[in-house]
Amino acid sequence: MTAKSGLHVENIVKRFGSLTALENVSASFRPGEIHAVLGENGAGKSTLMGILSGFVVPDSGTVMLNGNPVPVGRPFDCKRLGIEMIHQHFTLVSEFTIAENFALSRLPGLLSSSEVSARAEPSLAAATRLGWELEPGRRVSSLSVGAQQRIEILKALGGDAQVIIFDEPTAVLSPDEVEDLFRVLRQLKSDGHVVILIAHKLSEVLSIADHVTVLRRGKWIASAPIADVDERKLAEWMVGELPPPLAERKGTELVPGLVGQDLTVLGDRGEAAIKNCSFEIKRGEILGIGGVDGNGQLELAEALVAVRPVAGALNFAGKQVNAEEMRISYVPQDRQHDGLAMGMTIEENLLITGHRKPMLRKGPFLNFRALNQWANELVKRFSVKANSPADRVAGLSGGNQQKVVVSRALDEQPDLLVVVNPTRGLDIRATEYVHSKIQEARDAGAAVALFSTDLDEIYALADRVMFLSRGELIADTGAESLFGAKA
Amino acid sequence: MNGFLRFGLLLAGLIVVLLLTLAAFQLPIVDSVKLIFDGAFSDKFAWSRSAVKMTPLLLTGLGMVIAWRAGVYNIGGEGQFVVGAIFGAAVGKGLIGANAAAIPGGSLLILVVCAIGGALWAWIAGWLYVRRGVEVVISTILLNFIAIQLLGFAVSGPLQEQKRQVPQTDLLPDSLMLARFDRQTDVHLGTVLALVMAVVLTIFLYRTVAGYRLRLVGDNPKVARVNYIDPGRVQLSAMALSGAMCGLAGGVEYLGLVGQLGTTFPQQWGFLGIPVALLGGLNPMLTAGAAFFFGALFAGTENLARFTPAGTTIVYVIQATAVLAYVGLSGLKKARPKPEEETESTPS
Repeated sequence: MTAKSGLHVENIVKRFGSLTALENVSASFRPGEIHAVLGENGAGKSTLMGILSGFVVPDSGTVMLNGNPVPVGRPFDCKRLGIEMIHQHFTLVSEFTIAENFALSRLPGLLSSSEVSARAEPSLAAATRLGWELEPGRRVSSLSVGAQQRIEILKALGGDAQVIIFDEPTAVLSPDEVEDLFRVLRQLKSDGHVVILIAHKLSEVLSIADHVTVLRRGKWIASAPIADVDERKLAEWMVGELPPPLAERKGTELVPGLVGQDLTVLGDRGEAAIKNCSFEIKRGEILGIGGVDGNGQLELAEALVAVRPVAGALNFAGKQVNAEEMRISYVPQDRQHDGLAMGMTIEENLLITGHRKPMLRKGPFLNFRALNQWANELVKRFSVKANSPADRVAGLSGGNQQKVVVSRALDEQPDLLVVVNPTRGLDIRATEYVHSKIQEARDAGAAVALFSTDLDEIYALADRVMFLSRGELIADTGAESLFGAKA
Repeated sequence: MNGFLRFGLLLAGLIVVLLLTLAAFQLPIVDSVKLIFDGAFSDKFAWSRSAVKMTPLLLTGLGMVIAWRAGVYNIGGEGQFVVGAIFGAAVGKGLIGANAAAIPGGSLLILVVCAIGGALWAWIAGWLYVRRGVEVVISTILLNFIAIQLLGFAVSGPLQEQKRQVPQTDLLPDSLMLARFDRQTDVHLGTVLALVMAVVLTIFLYRTVAGYRLRLVGDNPKVARVNYIDPGRVQLSAMALSGAMCGLAGGVEYLGLVGQLGTTFPQQWGFLGIPVALLGGLNPMLTAGAAFFFGALFAGTENLARFTPAGTTIVYVIQATAVLAYVGLSGLKKARPKPEEETESTPS
C-alpha cells in the first residue's frame, strides 16, 4: 500500500456568502480503516462530505483518490470512481421495488424491465455476503427505516465502491440495528474499503472508529488514532474549552413560573417527538435547552407557547398555560416558515403580534397613525436595515428578517418567552442586542426558555441548562450529556 | 413589483394578444379594432352594454379575491352564482304569490337571500377543506356540476312557471327588478352595487383587523397558527364571504337583467371571475379595472361578431392568456432568487 492510496483532501475552502463553511481543511482517509469525522452542528461535516461526493463545489482545494485527482462538483463522476455516499435522508424511490431501486442507481438512463434483475444482481450478491435476506420484489415504502438504510448501503455496494461515506447513519436506528450496522462497517473495513463515518456521538465513535478527525466551525482541529483519545479529549476538541457549570441561582428568590410535568408532544407525523419531559422555569430565569437540531426542539417550543397540543401538565404560576390570559412571546426556529409572511411588508409582519394591541386598533379597524409610529420605532430600535416599514420583508437580508421576528416578540414585557435560535443569521452587534433584550425580559420577571444549538449562546445566557436528545430532556452533566454518550 | 405597474403591463400585453388574435382570425386589424371600440364605447348604448357585462364579472371577481387572498382556491364561483340565484328565485316566487308590490324592500330581501345561498354553497366546500382536508379546487368544481343540476330541477319542478310549459321561472314584476337609470339602456343599480362592493372590500382587506388576518392566513397559515389565529376558521369565513359575493352576482343578474331563471341562466360569469381577479392581482380596485376591461371586450366583440365570423370567442382567448400570464409571472417570481438570499447552508 503506497502513501498515495486512499482518499486525500487538501486545503479545501468553501464559503456560502459571508459564512465560511470550511477553511483550509485537509485530511487523509486510508483503505481498511473506519475514519470518523466529528463535529457539532454547523462544524462543516456535511459540507466536506458533499464535496467528496461531488454535490458541493469547493471554492478551492483538491480531492485525490489513489493519487488521481477527483473531479469536483460532478456527482456522477465521483460515483463512477467509486465514491459512494449513504445519505442521512435516504435517496430511495419509495414506490419502486428493492430491485428497481438497485437497478436505478446503476443506470445511466432508463432501460427495459427485463434488465432490472441483471442490474440489481451485484447489490443482491452484496446482501448475501453481508448476511441480509431480502425480497427483491418488495416495495421500499413497505420497509422499516432500518431496512431502508440497508437498501441504501447495498445500492452503494452494487458498483465498484472504494470509498463509502456514512452520513450520521445511527441517527434513525434502534440499538439492535446499530449493532448490525457496526458489524457491516467492520466487514467493509476488512474488505479494504475506505469507510468514512460522520457522527456526533462520542460513544459510537470510540467504539467503532480507527481514526478520528474533528472539525469545529469549519476548521480542522485535530486528527488522531482512536487509541490516543478519550471522550473528554474529543469533547474539548469539538467545543473548545468546556465552560464550568453555572452556579445556580438561589431558588428562593424566584417566583414560580412555568412547570411542565410528564409532557408528551406529538410531531407532525404523529410520532412522540417529546417523551415524558419534566422541567421548571421560574420567573426571572432562563432555562437553556441545548442539543442537536431535530431532537424535539420545534415540538416542545410549540407546546410551551400553547400552539401544539400537549399531554401532561403544563402550568404557569399554578394555572394552565393560556395565550389569552398571559403574554407569551415566541421566536420560532424557522423564520421563513413559522415567523414571517414573506409576501407582506415589514409593518404587516410586525402586526402579526401587534394587531392584538388595543393601542393599534380602532374598533374593527386598524389605527394606521399609531401603527406607523409603532412600526417605525421598532425598526429603529432594532436597527432593521430598510428604507421604510412599508418595504417588503422578502427584500431584507436573513439577519434583518430575524430582527423583525425578534423585535415584535420582545416589544412588550412577556410572562413567558420562548426563543429558538434567536440570533441565527445576526451579526455580532445585533446578537449582543438580542441577548441583552432577552436578559432584560428575564430580569423583568419573564420565564425564558432558550432553545439553541449554539452552546456558546446557551452558556452565555442561561441560568440553568438542559439538553434535548431524542425527545428526552437530560440534565446538564458536562460532556456526556452534550454529546449523548448515554443515548 | 408595484400592483398598478403590473396591472398596466398585463393589460398592455393582453391588448397585444388581442391584436395577434385578430391577425390569426385573418381580420383587418384596424377595422376590427374600430368595431370592437365602437361596440364598447361609441355611444351610451355601447357604454351601457360594457357596464352591464362588467357587473357580474366584478362581483364574481371580488368573490375570488376574498377566497384566494385567504389561500383557498375557490373555483366554484359558477355554482355559488347559480345557487344564489335559485335561493333568490324561491323568495321571488313567494313574493309574486304574496302580491309583491305591497312589500317594500322586496328586491333587497331577494339579494340578501341570494348572498346567503351562495355563502352556504361555498361553505360546504370550505367545511370539507377545513375539517376533512378535501381540496377546495376539486370540491368546488364538483359543486358547480351539482348546482347546474339543481337549477335544472328547480326550474322544471318547484320553481317552474305557473303555466308549466317551459323549464323556467315566472318573470318577476318590474317592482321587484333593480332600478334602471335610463329606460333605453340596461344599466341597473347592480352596477353601482358592484362598484361599491369593490370599495368595501378594499377597506375590509387593508383597513380592518379581520381583513389583515385573512391576508396573513393566505400568505402564511403557519405563522398565523403560531400566533393564535386559527387558519381554518379564517378560511372558512373567507369561503363563505366569497360565496356570498358570487351569490350576490347571481342575484344582481337575476334582478337586474333577466328577471327569470331558466336553464340558460348560467353564462359562466362564475368562471370568468377568476381571470378577472388574477388580472387585477387579487386587489379589489384593480379587479374593478380588470372587470371593466373584460366587460368592454365582451360588448366590443359582440359588435365585431355582427360583421365578421369572429365573435366573443376572442374574449376567451384573451382570458386564457390572462391566466397564463398570471401563472407565468408567479413562476418567474419563484424562480428569481430573492435579493440577499440567506447565505447559511445547513451543514449538520
